[in-house]
Amino acid sequence: MSERLLELTQVTKSFGAVRALKGVSFDLRPGEVHALLGENGAGKSTLIKIITGAHAPDSGRVEIGGSRVEGLNPARARALGIACIYQQPALFPQLSVAENIALRLEPSRMLRTIRWSERRRVAERLLAQVGAEIDSLCEVGDLSMPQQQLVEIACALGVGARILIMDEPTASLTQKEQRLLFGVVEDLRQKGIGIVYISHRLEEIFQLADRVTVLRDGESVGTFVASEVTEAALIERMVGREVAQVYPEREGEVGEPVLTLESVSSAAAGVGDVSLVVHAGEVVGVSGLVGAGRTELARVLFGLMPADRGVIRIHGERVDIDSPRRAVSHGIAYVPEDRRRHGIILEMSVASNTTLAIHERVFPGGWLRSSAENALASEFIRDLGIKAEGPHAVGASLSGGNQQKVSLARWLATRPRLLILDEPTQGVDIGAKAEIHKIVRRLARDGLAVLMISSDLPEVLGMSDRIAVMRNGRIAGILPGGTDARAVMALALGQA
Amino acid sequence: MEEPTAMSNAASQSASSRPGAARGLASAWWLRHETILAVLVVGEWLFFNSVGRRFGTWDNTFDILRHSAEIGLLSLALTPVILTGGIDLSVGSLLGLCAVVFGKLWRDAGLPVAAAASITLVVGGLAGGVNAALISGLRLPPLIVTLGSFSLFRGLAEALTRGVDTFTNFPSGFLFIGQERWLGVPAQTPVFLAAASFFWIWVHRTAQGRSFRAIGFSPEGSQYAGIPVRRRVASVYVAAGVVAAVAAILYTARLGQAKADAGTGYELYAITAVVLGGTSIFGGVGSVHGALLGVIAIAILNNGLVHARQPREVAGMLTGVLLIVALSVKPAIQRVALSWSRRKPGAKV
Repeated sequence: MSERLLELTQVTKSFGAVRALKGVSFDLRPGEVHALLGENGAGKSTLIKIITGAHAPDSGRVEIGGSRVEGLNPARARALGIACIYQQPALFPQLSVAENIALRLEPSRMLRTIRWSERRRVAERLLAQVGAEIDSLCEVGDLSMPQQQLVEIACALGVGARILIMDEPTASLTQKEQRLLFGVVEDLRQKGIGIVYISHRLEEIFQLADRVTVLRDGESVGTFVASEVTEAALIERMVGREVAQVYPEREGEVGEPVLTLESVSSAAAGVGDVSLVVHAGEVVGVSGLVGAGRTELARVLFGLMPADRGVIRIHGERVDIDSPRRAVSHGIAYVPEDRRRHGIILEMSVASNTTLAIHERVFPGGWLRSSAENALASEFIRDLGIKAEGPHAVGASLSGGNQQKVSLARWLATRPRLLILDEPTQGVDIGAKAEIHKIVRRLARDGLAVLMISSDLPEVLGMSDRIAVMRNGRIAGILPGGTDARAVMALALGQA
Repeated sequence: MEEPTAMSNAASQSASSRPGAARGLASAWWLRHETILAVLVVGEWLFFNSVGRRFGTWDNTFDILRHSAEIGLLSLALTPVILTGGIDLSVGSLLGLCAVVFGKLWRDAGLPVAAAASITLVVGGLAGGVNAALISGLRLPPLIVTLGSFSLFRGLAEALTRGVDTFTNFPSGFLFIGQERWLGVPAQTPVFLAAASFFWIWVHRTAQGRSFRAIGFSPEGSQYAGIPVRRRVASVYVAAGVVAAVAAILYTARLGQAKADAGTGYELYAITAVVLGGTSIFGGVGSVHGALLGVIAIAILNNGLVHARQPREVAGMLTGVLLIVALSVKPAIQRVALSWSRRKPGAKV
């Protein structure tokens, strides 16, 4: 077992100022399932992209099959026997299973005859290898998610993959489908294929993996033999010791309930049975893994997705929120996660962005008044410390942190009662991050109710008066502020 | 998650560290699209004035105005449509349908001209409403919806007239609007000026106009900002329908007849004028005055070629040249300026 299919040594990768990987080593043996574990943003995706050739490492060594590889690209990675199965299968839904497999397997040449019977035969052989009972002439769009994953695995076998990366393969599977998939994984292992397995579900990792590598903040904090380590130990490693960062102190008093949710459900959003109260002057953090339904809950509260059951109250009054407009009229503001697509309009000026949600108020009768608009924008530029050439600066010319502040300015301009922040400091540099934290704290002190969704655990712990942890579209538990990171992580992972 | 932001930060930094000369050019008034186009229009006028003897007379100027009123109206209406990132291919066909409806109401239903015209405007608005309902209600792509109504409206016009019926012998009081002068200018001028003022104010001076741009830049982002996107989008298509009806009435008055083929191909002339005027076909960027300059540039070209005794076919070709020249002057100058500042010793890019 000394042979290595894949070996990464001290790999680093930075994106601008962000150091995504700070010297990570990782290896994979034949017939092994090696799990990768880590919080959102720990560097798992970057590591995978380096293995599949989508990103080139800044430094470090990549060895595949025992020999050093330089200048890896996706085509070469595939030729070297690396295949990746993503959470969302990357197949053509309008084509048949056999055609999809043929697209990956057959050489592309300008002119070449298609032998349909051969295509079908190859497809059926590969499908049989993964134990899938799928008609090769079936359209992929008609298959279920696990069936599509099996087709992906069949493709990987077809191209002779020796290294298979599975990125949260069970995220959308039912229990029964999972068991089927695990059976296939076991088969692959018998064939001597090495599997890099990414999952947030610890129980799966213990069931499948031989070894586990934990990533945190772009560093590997250790590789463990799965049978010799406990869940608690892994969680501890994922969370790590707190990096000492100063968060603004809580001040002011918690007042009346502003937002009250009573068993709110939305089938469309995948959010179920959420009950939660946010008081004036309070910051309620929402934690959970990616896909736990946090953003979806925000979208329901902001009228972007319909709630089909339960009661939403604002200041005790029952409200029906069917559009963002209605949400705004109830005093709800939402600073969205995707700032470049939803938070601001990049092509428009700081001033236009600031007034976009309050046209009625700054433009009485619907007539543009640039003096009032510029005055308001200048006020926010000063108050929030937005670094821009002035109210006329175009959104795209600002840095990420300043764009985020403009997005915040737009919503503060609506004079909201409830402010929903979705990943307010994602992709923002440390300085701007601390400033945003200070602003949020100040707003809460002035009586605003804040619901803050964040994947940044220290941020949630440092900023929140209470923390709602979500899992699978539900609230898994509500913890007091200043609680232990492990308690939050355990709830998010379903280990409590 | 951090990657796109990190990279775009780097991108925006490199954009702002671009040499000052080239950056200043981006906002220089004399490099604004409208300025470039205005210079081209003046150049066109001077050229044709030197070639054709009668070109520069008031008579000919009014002739140009008269002939560009309908396409001008359609361009006005298409500007907000295109600003929202949409398109309306049906305005030419709707002009035909409205002309036929107007003729039918006046001749066959025996209504007075004023009543027939009023009802025609309502019909135009309703037809625009059909586009609006499909585009903002069912969220179908504007290109496909209006390609459908382009055929539908023309087909209805032909069905109403069985393809042959022509309405003529309109009263002289009505023909006055299209053929005579009022206060020394062509009688359709006030109508056109009123429409131009309306659209200019709507687009450039109201909050609604601002939201058209926001929608054009980012429909999703606009929705997240609480803008009533569907209502705004619907309004521009309804407005386009009403304007197509106004154009139909002016057209009928100018030619003294209404036929099912009225306004064939006008939608493309109008779209060309809007794009020539600097409005981005992807939405967000553009102006009403730019569209008007675009209409004038094309109208002068068509009229001038007649005076220069050139075949009409040349007009299409030269319109294309005009479009390319107008759209490439600014990027070309910026490129030259950039390479100049790069050549300067010590300038870092």
